[in-house]
Amino acid sequence: MDILLIVLNIVVFLGLAPLYEGIIRKLTAKVQSRQGPPIYQPYLDLLKLLGKDNLVSDNWAFKLAPMMAFAAVTAVVTIVPIGFKANYLTHYADVITIVYLLTLAGISILLGALSSKNAYAMIGASREMITMIMVEPILAMTFILGAVRMKSLAIDASMFSILSTGYSWSVVLMLVVYLMALQAFVARQPFDISEAEVEILEGPFIEYSGPNYALFKYSMMLKQMFYAVLFVTVFMPFLHTGLFVLDLVLQLLAVAVIFVLIALLGSTNPRLRIDQAVKYYAVLIVISLCTIALSVYGI
Amino acid sequence: MNIDLYGMLLQAFAILLGASIIVPLIASKRKLAGWINTIAVAIAAGLLLYVAYMAIFIQQAAETQAIFFGSVPVYFLIDAFSGFFIAIISFMAVISALYSIDYMEHYKDYSLVPYYIYFPLFILGMIGIVTVDDLSIGFTVAWQLMTIASYFLIRFEYKEKQNVRNANKYLILMELAWLFIVVGASLINGSAMGDSIHTLTQKLGTSGGMIPVVYALLLLGFSFKAGVFPFGQLWLPDAHSIAPSPVSALLSGVMIKTGIYGIVRTFFWMIPHEGHTVNPLVWGSIIATFGAVTLFIGTSQSLKQSDAKRLLAYSSIGQIGYIVLAIGAGLYMYHSSNMFVQMLSFLVIIGILYHVLNHAIFKGLLFLTAGSILYETGTKDLNKLGGLLKFMPVSAVIAGIASLSIAGVPPFSGFASKWTIISATLLGGSQVFFLALFGIIALFTSALTLACYVKFFGMSFASTGVEWNVEHKPQEVSWKMLVPKIILGLLCIVQGIVPFIYYETIMNIFRSSTGSIVQNSFNELSAHNAVFTNALGVTINVPGMQYANAIAVPLVVIVIVIIGFAVAYMLKKSAGSQEKVMPTWLCGYQDLNNNNRYKDRHMFAALKSMLWWTGGNVK
Repeated sequence: MDILLIVLNIVVFLGLAPLYEGIIRKLTAKVQSRQGPPIYQPYLDLLKLLGKDNLVSDNWAFKLAPMMAFAAVTAVVTIVPIGFKANYLTHYADVITIVYLLTLAGISILLGALSSKNAYAMIGASREMITMIMVEPILAMTFILGAVRMKSLAIDASMFSILSTGYSWSVVLMLVVYLMALQAFVARQPFDISEAEVEILEGPFIEYSGPNYALFKYSMMLKQMFYAVLFVTVFMPFLHTGLFVLDLVLQLLAVAVIFVLIALLGSTNPRLRIDQAVKYYAVLIVISLCTIALSVYGI
Repeated sequence: MNIDLYGMLLQAFAILLGASIIVPLIASKRKLAGWINTIAVAIAAGLLLYVAYMAIFIQQAAETQAIFFGSVPVYFLIDAFSGFFIAIISFMAVISALYSIDYMEHYKDYSLVPYYIYFPLFILGMIGIVTVDDLSIGFTVAWQLMTIASYFLIRFEYKEKQNVRNANKYLILMELAWLFIVVGASLINGSAMGDSIHTLTQKLGTSGGMIPVVYALLLLGFSFKAGVFPFGQLWLPDAHSIAPSPVSALLSGVMIKTGIYGIVRTFFWMIPHEGHTVNPLVWGSIIATFGAVTLFIGTSQSLKQSDAKRLLAYSSIGQIGYIVLAIGAGLYMYHSSNMFVQMLSFLVIIGILYHVLNHAIFKGLLFLTAGSILYETGTKDLNKLGGLLKFMPVSAVIAGIASLSIAGVPPFSGFASKWTIISATLLGGSQVFFLALFGIIALFTSALTLACYVKFFGMSFASTGVEWNVEHKPQEVSWKMLVPKIILGLLCIVQGIVPFIYYETIMNIFRSSTGSIVQNSFNELSAHNAVFTNALGVTINVPGMQYANAIAVPLVVIVIVIIGFAVAYMLKKSAGSQEKVMPTWLCGYQDLNNNNRYKDRHMFAALKSMLWWTGGNVK
């Protein structure tokens, strides 16, 4: 049973992440009055990329980076609980480990970008790092809010905190902050600053192709699904019915709704400049600090 | 048993003293002098490591011991706590001495006589600071030895006027710090020259209104040494960046830790049992505030530097901030009336020494790496560097490990100690908001640290630059410079994946060091063994809680990540695609050259301009 839950985690995440990406692409196309690719297109893209020639720069860091990104994100999605049920591995890490593992995935992108020697990639890397620094605290504080309420940094304790102690004003405030940061978490417009296709040509990924690029793409999809699952688990505890299969299905449907939201926000907003975005994040960080303060004083 | 240890300590002193007299005589034979210096330091360090081992693991209760120099008695104390610092200092000394052999070839125009006079004396002085047990005679001798020796090592490149100025500033500020400490100690009611700390502590109890002044002066003096904001900014980056790299490694890796040693001794040992006492909650919050401010300011200043060694020096200030935060939080939480917070204080107190150890290793390693870069390319300007991955592959891997360690990425060493400090403060924050705030600042700052080291690694080893800016083609450094780095690199990994061993050792240190306020509590802790249940990693479980409070099991995490790697590799190879090396593509109309590179000063421009108010800006 323990092993099965872990396998389920992996299958659900690896299997569905491209589908959710497909939802975004289809919906974005509809908003822009286009036909759009079929919803399963991201699967085909990954398969296609895996078969293409792998063009690399002549150093080991460039080749290591995509695998490191994939490994780090996979580790995260293996550990997080889905369907309101902690798996065996959930108890071998805590929220700080999760935050640092996500950071590792971020660094991998930077490592790849910097070792590719491309100036555009480095511009992208610089922006990506700034985004990471400013957005990571918001993610961390979402966890910490739960941790402070439960006096525990365990992943399940922190993520199920609202499930076990109910809503409060601080939770509502955090929910709002999370939604406002959502586009930045998943690197979509208006915060796709580090990739910015029309401006710096996919930034960090400009030199990547074939299987290496597929790995990066896949880990980005997994990461955005993780952020959606996190939102659903933490802030939508009313989906908890006690029946595991039903919980799982409801959660995955809710994740789809989140992705609809991401697609709509993404397709209707213009991209910000990095200096504008930094100010926006700074405000979010301050607000989320306030939520922790409120939470410590029991509000 | 005790006599034996003190005897060995004196023997080690004698060997170091002898080395500083004999080695300079043959300094014109540069390599030979380097080897003899290394051997002498290694023998002394061997003795000292044995002393440290005995003090930490074997010796039960340490007594202060008067050793007569002529007719002057000087008190020494070797307990488990000083043993820990002796071990770090002597280990890093050997590493640094071995690295010096080849590295000092870099300074062809300079005589090595001063280097080999003052190198052993510097080690001697640092060992002295952590073993003398007074704040007057012995302390003064040790402090002056350490300060003056390091002064001459810092001004080694005396032909550059700026270096001499920086070194002079260092000397003046360290003398000031010494004055603060000695004056502080002399204000204790009825204190006499040569009083042992134990005696001083008893007398402190009767000092009445002077107590806060004494504590403030001691804290001030040791904060100067440790590099706490705002004092560290005055001297640390200037001094650490101009010294020869093996010396920088010692300065940042171990010397500033003597300040930490002093602060911990003052606030955990020099607490009188009777008479007036101080309010530990107030001092705890003051120190913790200093720590949180230091770690944030130091790291954000570090982010702005383009000089590799200045970047590392500022980042030392930042990392000292973590340690100081842990000291303050530990002091506060230990005296908290809330049982839950009190239990967590053990965790954060362990974090103090754990981070001291980790920082000594990875910062030492990073300075040696910067030294290797300087040795091979002749520059430490990150704007000019880049692309060393190909020329110095082994150094690059080690530098990568060190960078990940200091940034606190699991499973490397920085993760284990930062996790300890951050999780304790965050959990304590569920009762006391300012602790949560400091914990969050610490977590945020470790992302900043990461940015610093992405920059450091990315702009020297990855990216491009040396092809155009360096005359000679850089090569991998010699084995004498590689071996010390490899040893430190391996330690960075070991200290990260088996935190349990280090936890046990550090708890043992606090259990067996007599006189500290936490000793009894640590003893009880071992009896119940409720707070730390352990398997592959560390789990904190305060009794009576539904969930474990915090968990770090790096071994399991690393296994998951490795499996992830394997899957990624299989995916990559699954369709049999061919790998081809291609030149960088710049939209098809130009090759990469020195004029279209992305330079270091552009990195994180938006962030740097947002953080202009933290100072340390570079034009």
